[in-house]
Amino acid sequence: MESFFEWLQGLSISNWIATDESIWSFPTILFFHSVGMGLTAGVMFIICLRLVGVWRPLPVSSMRMLFRIFWWGFGLNAITGSLLFAAHATITGNQPIYYAKLTLIAVGVVLAFPLQKFVKGDGSDGIIPVGIRGLAAAGLAVWVGVITTGRFIAYLQ
Amino acid sequence: MNFVHLHLLINHVPTVGTIIAFGVLLLALTQKSDDLLRGSFALFFAIALVSLPTYMTGYSAEAVVKERPGVNLELIALHQSSALLALTFMEATGVVAWFGLWQARKPGGRSKWAVPSVLLLSVITISLMANAANIGGEITHPEILAPGQQPAAAVGALAPASLRSAAIRYYQFHHPNAWPTLEALHFIGLSLLFGVVLVGNLRILGFMRNAPFIDIHRLLPWGVLGFVINSVTGMLFFVGQAFQYIDNIAFHFKVLFMLLAGANVLYLTLFDDVWALGTGDSAPRSAKILAASQIFLWLGVIYFGRMLPYIGGAF
Repeated sequence: MESFFEWLQGLSISNWIATDESIWSFPTILFFHSVGMGLTAGVMFIICLRLVGVWRPLPVSSMRMLFRIFWWGFGLNAITGSLLFAAHATITGNQPIYYAKLTLIAVGVVLAFPLQKFVKGDGSDGIIPVGIRGLAAAGLAVWVGVITTGRFIAYLQ
Repeated sequence: MNFVHLHLLINHVPTVGTIIAFGVLLLALTQKSDDLLRGSFALFFAIALVSLPTYMTGYSAEAVVKERPGVNLELIALHQSSALLALTFMEATGVVAWFGLWQARKPGGRSKWAVPSVLLLSVITISLMANAANIGGEITHPEILAPGQQPAAAVGALAPASLRSAAIRYYQFHHPNAWPTLEALHFIGLSLLFGVVLVGNLRILGFMRNAPFIDIHRLLPWGVLGFVINSVTGMLFFVGQAFQYIDNIAFHFKVLFMLLAGANVLYLTLFDDVWALGTGDSAPRSAKILAASQIFLWLGVIYFGRMLPYIGGAF
């Protein structure tokens, strides 16, 4: 793995992100990573809170388009996250908390599928099954965990 | 014009403003006027927003004043902690007042506790603000003391020493996890706030049309919750490390964008053009422009927040 991290970090784009002093490299990618977080975790918080039972009058079916934002945000952060990782692969790649974050993201994405299926389904404005509520509660905890572990990566080096 | 001027200019808003808002509230109660009541609540919310830069520009004034010969440093520290205590109650008053406005929009009527809570909180805020302002005055205007009267620093004051910048900085320094924990909370608050901002404004822009705005309006307290989380964590960053922010141009823009964006929550609560949107309805063009500008402003807040270390040199 170590040689892969070294190869990744040695790419010219990684090198540029890590060493360029302007605000257009690392800082700008970091900004887009934060926006992606706001899109992904932000709309997921709304979807999950509604499915847990908050804001009952709000039709669940009205949230269908939010999944589009979720996936766009996720795509943006997969790209910006990979770039940020590549710039410091030999450091971040050896941080356990980084792998905790990746695991939580994987769980969060897996959880998104049944939630999406329910919200986009015909019966979404009816009673919300207990199983979906449970998955939504788990989704809230998972995305809080993703943000927390992500933030700590910068401080546990 | 610099931030010391700005402090001297806007530092009267929290003191004089709360007294005026309190007067309007009393008038509303005696006249039994709903409009005046809403006006006083909106005023409290607006003053709570302006109080944030009032407190923060105090550090710019401190940096200048403490270089003067003979200035009482203990008095400055006391003014700072009294101001933070007053600010805390001011923000609580503003949030509760906004919540009262929001609650009054609920089908089924207004809450019984909003008026007494705002009354109580505003009375406490007014006395704390007067106390902080008085101590602040003594720093550069010892002539306000009566002959033989001791300055507040010699008498002791209301605010606990734990509210001083030095105490908060000391805590952060000796608890290495404190800062990253605040950062994590700040980003969780950001996501919650941004999620509500997106959903609310997307509805106005014409998405999610099968939800009437009255249902979307239910989400707003969660956005305000995100705003409160971020104000508290953000102020703890600021109070602990004020000198990496006060001369930071990215920080100035962040606060400016935040105040403009924050004021918008009043528009969504007070005005009817968005409020009246039913299932399938389209918002007027002016509301759509405002909604787009909202998303832009919050993106600006995130941008300048993220750029604090890179444009301005904070860590």
